Amino acid sequence: MKLPRLSSFFKGMNLTVFTFVMIFLYIPILILIIFSFNDARIITSWKGFTFKYYAQLWENAAIKEAFWNTMLIAILSTVISTLLGLITALGLENKRLKGRRGFMGLLYAPLVIPDILMGVSLALLFNFLRVNTGMVTVLIAHITFCVSYAVIVIQSRLEDFDYSLIEAAMDLGAKPRTTFFKVKLPLIMPGVIAAALLSFTLSIDDFIITFFTSGRGFDTLPIYVEGTIRRGTITTINSLSTLMIGFTLFLVVFTKRIRKSLISFF
Amino acid sequence: MEEIRIQNISKDFDGFLAVDGVDLTIRSGELFSFLGPSGCGKTTLLRMIAGFETPLRGNIFIGDEDITDLPPYKRPVNTIFQNYSLFPHMTVWDNVAFGLKIRKVPLPEIQSRVSEMLQLVKMEDQSAKYPAQMSGGQKQRVAIARALINKPKVLLLDEPLAALDLKLRQHMLIELMNIHDAVGITFIYVTHDQGEAMSISDRVAVMDKGKVVQAGPPDDIYERPASIFSAYFIGETNLITGQVIGIEDEYIQLRCNMGDGEFFEIDSTFHFRPEVGQQLTVSLRPEKIAISRNKPRIQDDINVLKGSIEDILYLGSHTQYIVTVGKLKFRVFSQHKRVYFDDTALDWDEEVWLFWHDTDSWLIDEMPDEAAYASESMVHPPRFGKREQSRNIAEEQ
Amino acid sequence: MRDKREIKPVNSFNQKIDYILAAPALLWLTIFFLVPYFIVLIYGFLTPDIFDIKFEFSLDAYRQIVDGTYFRPFYVSFRMALLTTVLCILLGYPVAYFIARAKEKLRNTLLVFIIIPFWTNLIIRIFSWRIFLSYNGVLNDFLISLGLISQPLEIMRTDWAVILVMVYVYLPYMILPLYSVLEKLDFTLLHAAMDLGANEVKAFFKITLPLSMGGIFAGVLLVFIPALGAYLIPQLVGDQRSLYVGQVITYKIKNIPRNWPMASALSFTLLILVAVCLLAGYYLYQNRQKTKRFG
Repeated sequence: MKLPRLSSFFKGMNLTVFTFVMIFLYIPILILIIFSFNDARIITSWKGFTFKYYAQLWENAAIKEAFWNTMLIAILSTVISTLLGLITALGLENKRLKGRRGFMGLLYAPLVIPDILMGVSLALLFNFLRVNTGMVTVLIAHITFCVSYAVIVIQSRLEDFDYSLIEAAMDLGAKPRTTFFKVKLPLIMPGVIAAALLSFTLSIDDFIITFFTSGRGFDTLPIYVEGTIRRGTITTINSLSTLMIGFTLFLVVFTKRIRKSLISFF
Repeated sequence: MEEIRIQNISKDFDGFLAVDGVDLTIRSGELFSFLGPSGCGKTTLLRMIAGFETPLRGNIFIGDEDITDLPPYKRPVNTIFQNYSLFPHMTVWDNVAFGLKIRKVPLPEIQSRVSEMLQLVKMEDQSAKYPAQMSGGQKQRVAIARALINKPKVLLLDEPLAALDLKLRQHMLIELMNIHDAVGITFIYVTHDQGEAMSISDRVAVMDKGKVVQAGPPDDIYERPASIFSAYFIGETNLITGQVIGIEDEYIQLRCNMGDGEFFEIDSTFHFRPEVGQQLTVSLRPEKIAISRNKPRIQDDINVLKGSIEDILYLGSHTQYIVTVGKLKFRVFSQHKRVYFDDTALDWDEEVWLFWHDTDSWLIDEMPDEAAYASESMVHPPRFGKREQSRNIAEEQ
Repeated sequence: MRDKREIKPVNSFNQKIDYILAAPALLWLTIFFLVPYFIVLIYGFLTPDIFDIKFEFSLDAYRQIVDGTYFRPFYVSFRMALLTTVLCILLGYPVAYFIARAKEKLRNTLLVFIIIPFWTNLIIRIFSWRIFLSYNGVLNDFLISLGLISQPLEIMRTDWAVILVMVYVYLPYMILPLYSVLEKLDFTLLHAAMDLGANEVKAFFKITLPLSMGGIFAGVLLVFIPALGAYLIPQLVGDQRSLYVGQVITYKIKNIPRNWPMASALSFTLLILVAVCLLAGYYLYQNRQKTKRFG
């Protein structure tokens, strides 16, 4: 079927805007990468090529600590919220479950409320409970904002699920347990993986909620970077940022491969 | 031998009776069909035999074993699903081996049985493919292999050919019959397609509104419909209503209203004894009626009617005429025995004579539902299931 | 023919088990998402303390909300969120349209290009804009070397910088839902409309735009509400003379002397504002759906 052709004016406009947006989206990233090799104390103008900030990065104990904190929180909150998300999505699978609408509302609410409010409210909760802020409070906060995403991503996968496959498995002699592990779980796995990846990126990306729930002495990378920018000692930030962009790119490529290999089944 | 006995089975969905007190016995090794329009309860009945639905009441036995409350995985029954339901994350080989792996059959045995099964369905060279890489017909074969490898006592087939195109459907139908002959187990076949059911089955149960209206061999159902529903759901027919005015030893006489105040009389053999004055329906299959330009020479002009051609449909192997007699419309099939029309072609509005033998009509002790016929003349079959039927005209030949 | 069976397999759903499965996450959200807002509500009626809070009833915080002392930050945030949303629609729509109409193989690649910045750390992206926009930054150097300007432009720490970065950060949130709607749109409808005599512009406004309204609503939701609570962007690139509500709340919580009742009152007001916007959007959307059905 041939689609109606857009006149060249419309087409040209769309292409122009697209190109403009692409430049807009990538210029800052490119500049950051280039300037991470800039041999200058002040970030702004080009003074020559160097690797020294990458070396400094390696020697900076605070950055290393912030990195490991970020990873620790990201991995823990990913595992916990993905598992929570999976069992919750399975629990809410039955559309006729009483009270399902209310539960869904509670799950969707964190997605439509500005992050800063979640940060403030958690900060005040921890204050009210007289809990010392630190790793545990940050972890709790991260699980709180990841779990909704995890449930929703896995649920969308379950929505496409063909229940006659469950019948087929039982028909062929598989008991409910076997059916779950051999048929259902493998088929919703792409959703589970997507949920985990989303939780992970949300966790390592978060600044504001962490900012409100972490105490002194527990910095994640975004917190560390923000502090450094504020204090003005930013020479290593370029190189750190470049590495983080590299990591993002790796994730994108990595998930695409997972996605591809899973799509080929269908 | 292990026959399947279905005793007084009912099933409701939110108060709606989908299956209503069905009693059936399916003989061992039989190819048995549930035939009916969508919503008649045939699939629900099948799903209760498979164990996917729990009956409201009644029992199902296989041999002497009551399987009514057994979960699907404990029943000696396997199913071919309408959309095949192959596991998309497994290869053909893994799909077929699934049932044996579940039962922890040793690997060498799995391997030999899988290759045996794939051979049976002619898929031995496709074992490494995934369902997404296969055509509908191929998926169908894998689904059959996956079910039969478990050596079930009964194979359930839920509209297995619905997703295939016409040519492939005819081909798979023959193949299914061959497989049935090869494995020798009971097949229960659910379809809304009367052509499929008639050609493949040893016996057919015609279902309507949750009930079995008639069960028997295909020719029996076609030639001797027990109800108006069977008569018009299977094949095409002319339904003539009339009042009994005389009963002889071998036949009865009926007086029929042409709809315009005129009457005609017809003779028909009978299989039950009606009473004089009773209102009856006569089913007369279109191919049983002879049509000609010249008046046939019949003693006393019994079952000879004069009408005029309203419509002609050329259908390749035969021509369908719509002939009006008074206000009634008769549907008549005329087989083409020679290269083109046997006679000089009959034309629109031409006066013609219809004739049939009194042994070719069939009495039904039931009057057509007025509502269903309101917009139709009495003889014209109602519109029910028309699309399915017209598609099958070609297949019936 | 049905493709998927809607009837669930026998015994596979058991309400009791379903509740048990759903309970942990729901309980978690109740404790760490719902309850905290009650505490925010309560803290708004307490008395501030330099380092902490005094559990003494006070209406001071809400009095200051009502008498308009804090009207300005709300206004600044609201105006910027609105502006960002409008710009995101104007820029995002053509992009989403372009991707949706691209060749099928190309679409995924183009989408990945949109997603990469979206997945890059927020702070890093803001930081890179600082390099780009600052007084002796890349943009100014470039413009001067071209001879277009002689004096560096003051872009950093202005509202312009905030708009630029806000649009930059939130644009993907507009493009992605729009794309998912436009991708499913039956473009042969356009053909039909043009066949019936509509010109291209008319066909767009009569067919494409109304049918993609769901995507616009989703996009607005995903852009406007986070933008309303923005802290980091105005903090790092904004004019420090005009404070955004997110900044005010953060200062009241973090900086000494602390004023947690004030922060709570502001947060709760923001929450109400968000809820009102959500409800308004929801009813607007519902009404549209209705007129679409009956009109």
